[in-house]
Formats: sequence, C-alpha cells, structure tokens
Amino acid sequence: MPAGRPGPAAQSARRPPPLLPLLLLCVLGAPRAGSGAHTAVISPQDPTLLIGSSLQATCSVHGDPPGATAEGLYWTLNGRRLAPELSRVLNASTLALALANLNGSRQQSGDNLVCHARDGSILAGSCLYVGLPPEKPFNISCWSKNMKDLTCRWTPGAHGETFLHTNYSLKYKLRWYGQDNTCEEYHTVGPHSCHVPKDLALFTPYEIWVEATNRLGSARSDVLTLDILDVVTTDPPPDVHVSRVGGLEDQLSVRWVSPPALKDFLFQAKYQIRYRVEDSVDWKVVDDVSNQTSCRLAGLKPGTVYFVQVRCNPFGIYGSKKAGIWSEWSHPTAASTPRSGEAGPGSPRATPSRGGGEPSSGPVRRELKQFLGWLKKHAYCSNLSFRLYDQWRAWMQKSHKTRNQVGRRRGPAQVGVGEGTGRGAGGKQAGEAGPQPPRHRRLPSKHRTRGSCPRADGARREVSGAGRAGGRGARRGPLPPLAAGLARNPPPCPSLRAADAQPLRLPVVVFSGVSLAW
Amino acid sequence: MSRREGSLEDPQADSSVSLLPHLEAKIRQTHSLAHLLTKYAEQLLQEYVQHQGDPFGLPGFSPPRLPVAGLSAPAPSHAGLPLPERLRLDAAALAALPPLLDAVRRRQAELNPRAPRLLRHLEDAARQVRALGAALETVLAALGAAAHGPRPEPPATATATAATAAGVFPAKVLGLRVCGLYREWVSRTEGDLSQLVPGGPA
Repeated sequence: MPAGRPGPAAQSARRPPPLLPLLLLCVLGAPRAGSGAHTAVISPQDPTLLIGSSLQATCSVHGDPPGATAEGLYWTLNGRRLAPELSRVLNASTLALALANLNGSRQQSGDNLVCHARDGSILAGSCLYVGLPPEKPFNISCWSKNMKDLTCRWTPGAHGETFLHTNYSLKYKLRWYGQDNTCEEYHTVGPHSCHVPKDLALFTPYEIWVEATNRLGSARSDVLTLDILDVVTTDPPPDVHVSRVGGLEDQLSVRWVSPPALKDFLFQAKYQIRYRVEDSVDWKVVDDVSNQTSCRLAGLKPGTVYFVQVRCNPFGIYGSKKAGIWSEWSHPTAASTPRSGEAGPGSPRATPSRGGGEPSSGPVRRELKQFLGWLKKHAYCSNLSFRLYDQWRAWMQKSHKTRNQVGRRRGPAQVGVGEGTGRGAGGKQAGEAGPQPPRHRRLPSKHRTRGSCPRADGARREVSGAGRAGGRGARRGPLPPLAAGLARNPPPCPSLRAADAQPLRLPVVVFSGVSLAW
Repeated sequence: MSRREGSLEDPQADSSVSLLPHLEAKIRQTHSLAHLLTKYAEQLLQEYVQHQGDPFGLPGFSPPRLPVAGLSAPAPSHAGLPLPERLRLDAAALAALPPLLDAVRRRQAELNPRAPRLLRHLEDAARQVRALGAALETVLAALGAAAHGPRPEPPATATATAATAAGVFPAKVLGLRVCGLYREWVSRTEGDLSQLVPGGPA
C-alpha cells in the first residue's frame, strides 16, 4: 500500500449540498414539466475510493405519478452497461449496485456512474474518484540563474500515477528564521517544477521541500537545504564565433564572450566546448577550458562543416566550494574547415598533390613534424607558442611547393597518405597504428581529437560522444637520436611576445599517439 | 454611427440606398463574427465532451435538456418572428451567456485542472460572445430596433453558486447544456444577421 496520510475524502460520504434558490438551474432529480417522467438520486454522490476497494451504490427513483419502480433500471459506468448480476432490486423503487476491486479512474473529472430508465434515458449520475494517495516527492534539484531567482524540479513519488488530480506545492523558507513561503510559478521547466523569481537572500541557507496532495491524502518530500550561491548557473556564453585558422585544414578557432550577467561577481569560469560534424549526432567534448574565451580545435577533417557549442560553469562564486552548475549550451555555430588544397587567407597556397595526399611529406619532414608535436607536448619550454608551430607548418608547405616545382619525385611512401586509413605511410608504425599527419588524416571513429585549448592546471581530460578513445594511451616509440638530444638539452625558449601570449599559454598536442620511426 | 441609420421594417426594400456604408460594414462585420463564433462553439462543444469522459460525447448520449436560469434555447417559433424581434432575442441571449460560460469555466477548473486548453477556450468564448452581443446591440441601435428599457441582469451569482453546489455529474451536464446553448444562439444570430446583410437572403 502506498505511503501517505489518509485525507479527509477517504470516506465516501459527502456533506449534503446547500439549499438551492428557486430560480437556480434544475439539477438532475427535478421533474420535467408535464412529462410524467421519473427522476432518481444516486447515493453516494461523488465518492473517493482507493484502487482495489469496493463500492455499494443505490439508485432511488422518484416519479410522477408515484409508484415509480426500480424494475427495468440499469447502470452504466463510463458509458458501458454493467452486468445485470452486479445489480439487485432492493425495493420497489431502489436498485442497488455492487462493484469490487475498482480500477483507477479513467479521467481526471471522475468516472461517470449513471442510472438509466428502461428506455435508456438518464435518471441520475454520480462521479467516482478511484486512485491512490500521493507518495513522497523526491530528487529535488534547484538552481539559480545569475543569483537572481531560484528554479526547482522534483520527481513525483509512485511514478506520478495516482489516477487522481494531485497538487504539488513547492515550499521554501530561510533555515533559521522566517515563515514558510509557497512557490507560485509552476511548470516552468517541466510538469514538476517551480520558479521563484525574486526576493531571495544570499549567504544564508534555505530549506526547500515539496508537498503533494490529492483527494486521498498528502505526502511531503525530504527537506533540501542549500545556499543560493552554491547552485548558481548562468546564461550560455554569447557571441560564439568559429573561424578558420588561416589555411590549416584541420583546425578551427572558437571564440566567445564570458556571460555578461555575472561579470561583476568574483568567480572562476570553466567552459566546455562540444563539436560535431554536420551530419553526425556524436558530439566530441573539450573539457576543462578554464577561464579562457577562445580555443582552437585541431585534428578535424578538411572540407567539413562543424557545429560548435560552448557552455559555462560559474563555479566558486563568492568563494563557494561547490562544483557549480553548467549553463545551457550556446546556440550552435557552424564553420567549415578548408578543403584539401584550398588556400586560406594569408597562408601559402597549397599545391595539390598527385596522390591526393599532403604536399609536404618526405619522411624527414613528416617525422620532424611529429617530433615537433611531441616536443610541444613534453618540452619544458612553456613559451613555445602554437603560432610559431603554425609558422613552421606554413613554411613547410611553401618549401614543398618549391621542391615540387623543381621536379622532386615523391616516393611510394607518400602514396596513400591521407587515404584515411589511419596507418602510417609505409605500413604500420612500430608499436602502433598511429594517426596520419594532420593534412589528410582521417582518424578512426574511436580516435579522439584533442582541442588545442590551454589548460590551467596541466591536466587534460577529454570526453567524446563516441566513447573514450585511446589516443592518449597510444604507445610511443623510443626517441630518435635528434629528438633524444633535444630532450636532454632543450633549446632556449624564445621570448614570449604579447601577441603570442594569448590565448594559448601551453602548446597543445595536435597529433596524438604518434610514434617516431627513423 | 448615428442612432438611426436605417430601418429594420423592410431592410431589403431600399438596401442599396438606406443602409449607409458604415452601417453596412458593421452588419457585415457582425455577421462574420457570428459565423466565426459558430465554428468556435462547435469546437468548444467537442472539446468539452472529451474532457468529461464517456458517455459524454458517445453517439446517442442524450442527457436531460434541463432549463438553465436566465437562458433558454431558441424557441421553435423563433424563425417565424419579425426580424427585429429575433435580433432582440439574439442580443438578450448573447448577454446572458458570458456569466454562464464563466461559471462553467470555474467548475471545469476544479474538475479538469490539467486541461488548460479547455479552460482557455471557455474563457475566450465568454469574451467573444460578449463582443458579439455588443456589436449586435450597436447594429440594433443604429437601426432603431434596440430593446426598450434596461435589460434584466442574468442571475450570474446564482448560476455560479448552483454550478459549484451541484454534484459533479450534474455539473458536467450543466456545462454541456451551456456549451450547447452557446452554439445554438450564435448559430441563430448568424442566421438572423444574414437576412440583414445587403445581398443576403431576404
């Protein structure tokens, strides 16, 4: 049996209705003028019952002329005639009905139990309310938008189905003083939600609970205690812009603005970026974008439209120790990566390669690129900027074009580069099937891309809609001699210019899980 | 619009001359409104019976046509009355409907609180029939056929009390009756006004 205190309507008796003035409408039971018709009264009127209980009802006929008989009367429930064996004639003018093991009411307004005359005309009616008392609401969660309001959501008990209209009321009060308040704006974010728009205190805890009431009883949730500052969320970051990075085919730059509503408050913002290919439903998420308002996505497919969204978590507001609540995602912003060979603004014109692969790709150059990627990830030189790396790449493309013009022949190892198999040129790399150089690398679906977003604490965590991939976990081969030498004696860090300083503080591994084969 | 701009005695005889353009426009507008409300009233009736549960809405469902205080259905002899009298009866019925529809809405708010569309449509019906009644009164006044003396106020409070005091089943039947009367009277008004529209049936 469901929990809950029995309500005042648990008993089927009702208090008698007040007397009706003469000019009021004629309710069922008043004689029809001049017709000699019979009328009747059903008892009980509008009973409320538990599911599975029984009902004993009577239909008493009054008529003009007197002597109306119960003979021929019958019952219907929700328009369906009830079996004759459920009825019996109590006396000349009364027909009784016995219903057992009642099911829950079919409609909110009550099941229609009707007493009919022999000719089918309606003599009287009564509405049955069969259901369950409410169970304790639970799972209350609340959040405050920019510390201005409070919205709470909850789950009704008993899976919500009581078969009776159940009223839910959100109550709140300051923990140590004040009176109970009742939320008034319901269904703001779903059927079981309420919104308190104003007059909320900060730096002091609230107690919040939900009361559920119906004809059969009431129930109250556990009390949730919270401080508004611990449940703050905000608007999605506005002005999200996604643009190409010069002619780089596998990268897009994402920029946004921190939410203006909280600009006057002390808080650290965390951001998350998610992006997907236009015709895919799998989002890739770049996590832990701390207090930055720009980010570069890398390892993307060339000539592909991407949708990008950003969201913000204003954690630590006014020193709160709680995790904060993520905002909604911003509206999707789309941009496309350049196609292979397509020139971007300010970048060297890409030369189409014979094999459809990238124009750079002597083994030395490819491996140098891979090494540089590794160097950026592991080097002690925190000032080595991504911009410098891009300049090197652009130089590489330009130098390849120059070599092609003097008739440099590409080796068989370059054929198939960019075919998208994920295997290195010349076969599988030692120890792994690493990803291709970025130009035409088509990563296996399981492979993760890593955003080029800086991290504040040195730790990077990535979640993909396709599940966790093992890019970071890929084994790396031993360093070639040159790399090993550089690792032992790293070159001096170039001085950091203001333009290079932001927004990227640490270089990002664009190529993950590569191994160096010399 | 001046008080007498035409005559209802023989509206078709000099319709092209005696009915001034703005009166003609007002009549057309009122007739169009009545036509629109006739359709809305049919939809409201269907929506109402759906929320009361079976047997409401089942074919052959025929509850007693109980009299409602302050309003009765158009009499069978209505069509035989002179047009001015018919329009006056229409206006009186339209004036009596809003408090009845409000009473039904209040009761349905208790019986069907999770039917916001029904409640909104009942509220809209009360407002729209009030507008139609006012428009018809304006036309009657312009034609010099308005009812003489103050119209008796419908017993709105009494009706509201009755609606809340009665059992649930009688309240459902009452609401059905009121929605039915609403449909009958706006339809009747549309028909009567069509005889006034220039170019309409005589």
